[in-house]
Amino acid sequence: MKQFNTFPKFWGLIQELALKTVKLRYKNSMLGFLWSMMNPLIYLVIFTFVFSYAFPGIDRYPLYALTGLMFWTFFSSSSIQVIESVINNSGVLKSINVPTIAFPLAAQVASLISLFLSLIPFSILMLIFGLEIGWETLLFLPILFLFACFTFGVSLILCSLNVYFRDIQLAWTSFMPAIFYSSPIAYTTSVIPEKFLWLMKLNPLYHFITILREILYYNRIPSLMQFLAIFALAAIPLALGFYIFKRLERGFVSQY
Amino acid sequence: MQQSILKEPIVIAENLSVSFLIQRHGINNFKDFVITMGVKSPFEKKNVLKGLDLTIYKGECFGVMGRNGSGKSTFLRTIAGIMKPDEGKLTVKGRVAPLMALGVGLEPELTGMENIKLVGTLIGFEKTELNASLQAIIDFSELTADEINMQVKRYSSGMMARLAFSIAVATDPDILIIDEALAVGDMGFRNKCAKRIDEIKAAGSTIIYVSHHLEEIKKICTRACYLEHGRVEMIGDVNEVCDYYEHQVIRKKA
Repeated sequence: MKQFNTFPKFWGLIQELALKTVKLRYKNSMLGFLWSMMNPLIYLVIFTFVFSYAFPGIDRYPLYALTGLMFWTFFSSSSIQVIESVINNSGVLKSINVPTIAFPLAAQVASLISLFLSLIPFSILMLIFGLEIGWETLLFLPILFLFACFTFGVSLILCSLNVYFRDIQLAWTSFMPAIFYSSPIAYTTSVIPEKFLWLMKLNPLYHFITILREILYYNRIPSLMQFLAIFALAAIPLALGFYIFKRLERGFVSQY
Repeated sequence: MQQSILKEPIVIAENLSVSFLIQRHGINNFKDFVITMGVKSPFEKKNVLKGLDLTIYKGECFGVMGRNGSGKSTFLRTIAGIMKPDEGKLTVKGRVAPLMALGVGLEPELTGMENIKLVGTLIGFEKTELNASLQAIIDFSELTADEINMQVKRYSSGMMARLAFSIAVATDPDILIIDEALAVGDMGFRNKCAKRIDEIKAAGSTIIYVSHHLEEIKKICTRACYLEHGRVEMIGDVNEVCDYYEHQVIRKKA
């Protein structure tokens, strides 16, 4: 009895669920998705006031901060949504035979759709702040894809555990600010003493944000090493995420 | 009952055991769980179904009775593929349409129309199938054009139930599971539901019906079983099982 055994059918389900999420997010608000940009914009204003004085060395500071903030917003919002996705749909999962993985996957796809929507106004802002577009800008898409895979992998691990221990989603929201400030979003790594730099490099977000800046801010083509690094950082959590999810999925139904 | 023996079995449960995980508390359990990657779990298994044997035949209407907590819903969920058996074997032949709780998956903020698409997709319709049965679903639900384009949160509970039922019975499934979902809507709609169930039955589908309502069960079903502590305690003609059920309830009370 496999109801979603073909790929088009499974993909149809993901689309329907993702579109529902996007629709619901903006349904009853007047300014719609403009609100989803408010959070990064408020940060941007604060950072521009605070940090451009603290680190006057950074050229085109608003663009620098914005390139980091955009992807941070994607990471933080989609991880929370993926983590909660299974629990929030327990009613459906308990009564209808749908593949459980559809819900985290749809949450991730919905976040990607929101990100692409927000890219339209953000790119206008970035152009104002001095973004230069070249061929290397196209590399943005594969990097974004890998970043989404990384985000999904990490969130899927947490999502599987969260079904058993709701502490996970609470803990994750509290950890968010710590992860934020330990990533080079508002500041450059040049402010960090050389001997602590290795510590920063343990943070996977460091690598994704640096490579995105490389193309969007410095207009340089990233090195092969940088690509290999983010490829590994995307593939390992993703594989681990699927593995843990599969292992734990069987017992989910008892927890709904 | 001679004739049902000649029929083709559609659901066969052999020594079926299904369990739930019950949480044990404490931080050490959590630590073990993480370290061993879910092998050593902080959970205890609680068997809900313990070696259940049962055969349901194609085209029959089968009633499932039992007191609260006897394993009725778990059994239905296992047939629907939502829960997996720990031991024993369960063979289910064909597409199952579970009607466990009416209104599952409905999104209050979306309109009736959007909900037909959403819930339809969830229960396994393909896009083309869905577009083909869209009008039939709307007609069956008796919702007006205005109402169908209204947000479901503005529906009365009867309207919501009508919409949910219409989506669930839009196609003739091989097996229709009804878990006490029929007590909805006004008189007219209830009769319509009963008629639709007869139609589904006439089309050769199997119906598995769970209820505490003896009259309903007697009206719809031909055969029934009585579950107790996760086992089949009695199986046979619906009237006999209903009598037995009544006796059990009275005896337990005394």
